[in-house]
Amino acid sequence: MVAASMRAGTAADAIDGVVPRQVAEPADGQELAATLLAAARATHATVLRGGGTKLGWGRPPAAIDLVVSTSRLTSVFVHRHGDLTATAHAGLTLAQVNRELAKHGQWLPIDSAFDEATIGGIIATNDSGPVRHRFGTPRDLLIGVTLALADGRVVKAGGHVVKNVAGYDLGKLASGSFGTLGAIVDATFKLLPIPQASATIDASYDDGEALARDVMQVSASQLEPMAFEMWLEGSRYRLRLLFASSPAAVSAQVESAQRMLSRPSSVLTGDSEFALWKDHVRLPWAGTGAVIRFGWLPARLAEVISMIQDVQRIGGPVVMAGRVGVGAGVMRVEGDVRSQAAVVERLRSSVLVGNVVVLRAAPELKQQVDVWGPPGSAAGAVLAIRRMFDPAGILNAGRGPV
Amino acid sequence: MDERLVAEFSRLIGPEHVLREPIKLLTYECDALPHLRQTPALVVLPGSAAEVQAVVRLCSREGVPFVPRGHGTGLSGGALPVPGGVVISLARLNRVLEIDIANRRVTVEPGVTNLEITRQVAPYGYYYAPDPSSQQVCSIGGNVAENSGGAHCLKYGFTVHHVLAVEAVLPNGELVQIGSPLPDAPGPDLLGVLVGSEGTLAVVTKVVVRILRKPESVQTLLAAFNSISEAGAAVSDIIGAGIIPAAVEMMDAVAIRAAEAAVHPNFPPADTILIVELDGPASEVRELFAVVEEICRKDGATTVEVAADESQRARIWKGRKAAFAAMGRISPNYYVQDGVVPRTRLPEVLGRIAALSQRSGLPIGNVFHAGDGNLHPLICYDERIPGQAQLAEEVAGEILTYCVEAGGSITGEHGVGADKKDYMPRMFSDDDLDAMQQLRDAIDPDRLCNPGKVLPTPRLCGEVPGPYRQHPVEAAGLAERF
Repeated sequence: MVAASMRAGTAADAIDGVVPRQVAEPADGQELAATLLAAARATHATVLRGGGTKLGWGRPPAAIDLVVSTSRLTSVFVHRHGDLTATAHAGLTLAQVNRELAKHGQWLPIDSAFDEATIGGIIATNDSGPVRHRFGTPRDLLIGVTLALADGRVVKAGGHVVKNVAGYDLGKLASGSFGTLGAIVDATFKLLPIPQASATIDASYDDGEALARDVMQVSASQLEPMAFEMWLEGSRYRLRLLFASSPAAVSAQVESAQRMLSRPSSVLTGDSEFALWKDHVRLPWAGTGAVIRFGWLPARLAEVISMIQDVQRIGGPVVMAGRVGVGAGVMRVEGDVRSQAAVVERLRSSVLVGNVVVLRAAPELKQQVDVWGPPGSAAGAVLAIRRMFDPAGILNAGRGPV
Repeated sequence: MDERLVAEFSRLIGPEHVLREPIKLLTYECDALPHLRQTPALVVLPGSAAEVQAVVRLCSREGVPFVPRGHGTGLSGGALPVPGGVVISLARLNRVLEIDIANRRVTVEPGVTNLEITRQVAPYGYYYAPDPSSQQVCSIGGNVAENSGGAHCLKYGFTVHHVLAVEAVLPNGELVQIGSPLPDAPGPDLLGVLVGSEGTLAVVTKVVVRILRKPESVQTLLAAFNSISEAGAAVSDIIGAGIIPAAVEMMDAVAIRAAEAAVHPNFPPADTILIVELDGPASEVRELFAVVEEICRKDGATTVEVAADESQRARIWKGRKAAFAAMGRISPNYYVQDGVVPRTRLPEVLGRIAALSQRSGLPIGNVFHAGDGNLHPLICYDERIPGQAQLAEEVAGEILTYCVEAGGSITGEHGVGADKKDYMPRMFSDDDLDAMQQLRDAIDPDRLCNPGKVLPTPRLCGEVPGPYRQHPVEAAGLAERF
């Protein structure tokens, strides 16, 4: 078992300004596992890196001995189109995978704000976007996983059938783990056919309560959007509904949704529709402000919107995209670190929202607030699992979430 | 079990909820896999989460193994008692705690039945999606343990996709919340691991599930084919057309005959029938259903019957869902497995099963979820004929081997339990299984929570997890692996 060769870390490899001593780029799962084993034996604080697009998410590291990159894990790709499943190496990007899947009219329905986001990183962060309204988050689509563990072993769980309850689902454990339990080598997903047609309704509001009322109307209806989103920028709002199905079904649903809304709306298709969703997913990440993720009970949307208006009095204007069907949002807060910290505190003290996590932030903000927030009551169990799989405590270099 | 302990359990939850008389213990000897039986030392029926916690704490302190049990409908022996152990029945935790239509979620105790959730929310136009065939009687706690599916999981997923959070007692007696009623709780998805862990990681005391709006339209058809390969081609073509039906079920001639004998669903005489159901917005269902009908005819359907109303639809499903129990009409005993194969490998594996049936002389009926490749071979035998029960078990094992060889799984929804744990090494390497054991040992280091299930047991009690090492007992020649 041979560990991957190393190079010295450079400024381009820095996380929160901390330059890792070394960077390894293993060529396969065995080499990846051997690299982790060597790091564990030497107690080297280690960070796993996919595309590096979300590498800043987490507590600021004290020191990083080693970054292990999956950039060379790009050779495995199997598309079983007849079975609607695919297996992809961790270092492939979501965009690459979806380009391949499209050749057979299928896709992995996950949104990412980042072009370079990899399969491994998407699972490790369990990051998602608007289409989670219909398809859930990556954990809901993951059916099998291969992991490299810090004891040098390569193990798998699940498989490549969509229905399978044999053994513990270690893929779920990897989901949202931020590389604290092991490294993802490859992943198998269930896929969906690309819908024949789609159209998006975009309605504009200057009144948050009116928006919330319309959201409740749509929620209680039998419409089945693929994405059901709000957009907030200062005191202007938009409601966006993406319908994707057979052509006649799309027109019928668009028509009935438009009738349901209290405000006039435009209907976008083709390139303009594509551009709208691209912006919708990316704009919360534009600029340099802190990006905060949080959840709420869907029926409390009006109160949540009113609280965000309060938040803007503390922290200045925000930009927010929200999955109103599930109650999940990301918000960008500009302003100085002190007002950003005040916004985080305000959100965390509210009974309306929960799971307030600071995703992107300047190291100074991360010093002032814990990015992950208070641990849940099952934290002890998660920590016990971590100690079992990473007894040396090297993985993700103390950056959490475990 | 010694009197001191029994007295302590009685003090904790009341003597009337502690069962020890042999006649009362009989009920708890097995679940719905009756050929595996074990009398527990004691059965306790706590009435609240606090009482569950007290019971588990006592077991933990005294080193007594315990087995959580829902309504005993499991098909893999997941609730099989452990010799000298306690069965914790969750039957008394059967309250619906909160119905929150506006937020589309329901909070229940684990002893509430699956169908009860739908019953509670149906007046508002909602339902709970996972629908195992036993849904009238199975408990939601059991569904969480087994990650239960059902006929409609091709489109809607399994229990794991519909549970938002649980409250549970860990094997050390800690009462915790796992998951979150709000989305995006940070950290590894412990809830996703717990769902489907077959009662080996915790005893669930409360479950928050999401409910779905009833679809605007549901259309069901039943198509008859002259061969399983024609029906299989129709399924491939439907999926190939980009249609994900709510359900796609197949039954072969043996299963059709059994269903007819039992509940008279008036199925057409055929080699194979296919049931396809689409649901969703009316416009979508109308448009796609026409495509499905056309595909069935093109692929050789001899008849295509479209359910005209809810009663016809119910009749079709009654025939399908009764198929298991109906086997009793044509065979004194049957044994069911639920291996999975990639859908495209169905014809080949079904061919191997037919050959196996011929060779063994045991009729095998097939009723299965064709959309996701989840087989349910019903192996008919007569236990009065010496050797047949054994033969049936061997045949079942052989079928699981076919499934694994085709790239599938030994179980799609029934769980590994005590029944299939010895088949786990056919799917997973020693390292894979060791990693699973490590996870289990992290949560249950004393190995008291439903021991002897899921993972193969040659791992000796007290063995240190990790790569194989000779156990001291083995070295001393006192035990061996088998």
